[in-house]
Amino acid sequence: MRAPDGPPVTSGDVLLSIDNVSLSFGGVKAISGVSFDIRKGEIRAIIGPNGAGKTSMLNIINGFYHPQQGIITFKGEARTRMRPHDAADGGIARTFQNVALFRGMSALDNIMAGRTLKMKRNMFWQMLRIGPALAEEVEHRHRVEEIIDFLKIQEIRRTPVSRLPYGLQKRVELGRALAMEPELLLFDEPMAGMNIEEKEDMSRFILDVNEHYGTTIALIEHDMGVVMDLSDRVVVLDHGIKIADGTPAEVKSNQAVIDAYLGVAH
Amino acid sequence: MILFGQFLEVLVSGLLAGVLYSLVALGFVLIFKASGVFNFAQGAMVLLAGLALVRSLDMMVANGLPFWAAIMLALLFAALVMAITAFMVERFVLGPLINQDGLTLFMSTIGVTFIIEGGAQMLFGSDVYPLRLFPSDAWFLFEDSFPGGILVSKIDVWGGLIAAVLVVGLALFFQKTKTGRALRAVADDHAAAQSVGISLNWIWFIVWLVAGLVALVAATVWGTKLGVQFSITFLALKALPVLIIGGFTSVPGAIVGGLIVGAGEKLAEAYLGPFIGGGIEYWFAYVLALVVLMARPQGLFGERIIERI
Repeated sequence: MRAPDGPPVTSGDVLLSIDNVSLSFGGVKAISGVSFDIRKGEIRAIIGPNGAGKTSMLNIINGFYHPQQGIITFKGEARTRMRPHDAADGGIARTFQNVALFRGMSALDNIMAGRTLKMKRNMFWQMLRIGPALAEEVEHRHRVEEIIDFLKIQEIRRTPVSRLPYGLQKRVELGRALAMEPELLLFDEPMAGMNIEEKEDMSRFILDVNEHYGTTIALIEHDMGVVMDLSDRVVVLDHGIKIADGTPAEVKSNQAVIDAYLGVAH
Repeated sequence: MILFGQFLEVLVSGLLAGVLYSLVALGFVLIFKASGVFNFAQGAMVLLAGLALVRSLDMMVANGLPFWAAIMLALLFAALVMAITAFMVERFVLGPLINQDGLTLFMSTIGVTFIIEGGAQMLFGSDVYPLRLFPSDAWFLFEDSFPGGILVSKIDVWGGLIAAVLVVGLALFFQKTKTGRALRAVADDHAAAQSVGISLNWIWFIVWLVAGLVALVAATVWGTKLGVQFSITFLALKALPVLIIGGFTSVPGAIVGGLIVGAGEKLAEAYLGPFIGGGIEYWFAYVLALVVLMARPQGLFGERIIERI
């Protein structure tokens, strides 16, 4: 599922690189001098204890925050500032830590909202539902139904999302992100607040998205077990500084990581 | 039979007047829904739209253009003025204030009100300008059933028709178009809307444009009724109880709220007036709003506000 424009990226190439990025809010340093990269087709995890700067990092990638320092290169294009809707246009989709759905809409409409950038027809034709606008609507509905099938949420497509249980809301949110046909999909704590069963489902979907659509995935997670099972490579942040980067096995045996998670006497 | 005929006449004229209140209230609802901003400037926008319309119309008629062509061109011109206003408000007021507190945005719309009121009168003049888009005489209906018939003012009927077309158009726009879906998305969650590629700046321009066009529609009807003049801005005060009764976030609420206020104040004037003195029309709506506030603070159609503590 690759966006039609932009240079072709082959598996293993660097899709996004973060180079010496620093971010502070007033006097508080959230991230200082962090560098790492995300390769095409991999599942990349960003972990760290509370306040490590994980969500800030995601917000930088997605354009919500603008770092004071450093360069972000996405698909070979370097940038320092980008607005969130431009990031979306470039092929970056995301989910949120506490589900951020459009509460007044049905599951179907939420996922259709993910197609916003793909719909080109004039609104006057859309209002009248005739001609090319109707054909376009049908085509997008078709793509959305595929995603609904993929996520196994057929029965709830007409339900207002505010009435759905948390696990299903998370799934609808994933559906909305998938509807954007992103090249890079960011998950902000996809398992937070879930029970074991829901966690297993969500892990399955993340792996399936990665395999089935070939989408590159970056995820933030608290649950170490989940991260180690899912991801190809892990970067560890602590107090806004990168303390480790490597395969799950490497990271797990890294002394700095163990200290950060368990705490050491200074 | 006379009594029933009188009742019908009061009710119908009240309902039709109520539709006209709804026209003004709609503009508030649109902006409040999409951006959470209470737009104090809505009344001023009605004045601006009315002045742009009537002044350009008069000028073109004076220059010998046929009346229908002049109306078309004047409507286009007024729409353009509203589009420019929407652009400027987004660019210079709301754009820089993105992610600010709701109260800050509200205060900024008070500033916008003064700029629009002053600018509109500076550009287009500050007299009373009569506008004659719709016939202003009346029909007498059911003269067989009731002695004297029921008096229905033609302009109120026009207002009702126009409001109906407007509401259907807005409903189609919100439900069926990509932009309408984006508007609803922004109303629900700013961050999530941005993450799917919706530009807040673009949406706010669209919202203010739509509210500006609704103001133009309101101005065509109210301008014909009262003449285009400064006091048209006080319509905003009449829209307040309508909003409180219907709910700030609901388009149907604005319509029903308007109908309730319109019918309520006319019926109260006609049937309570003799007992407690006249002039009820001027305060009845506010008392009604107060009662609704006590019983159902979110309004009849508003979203229930549930806050966790």
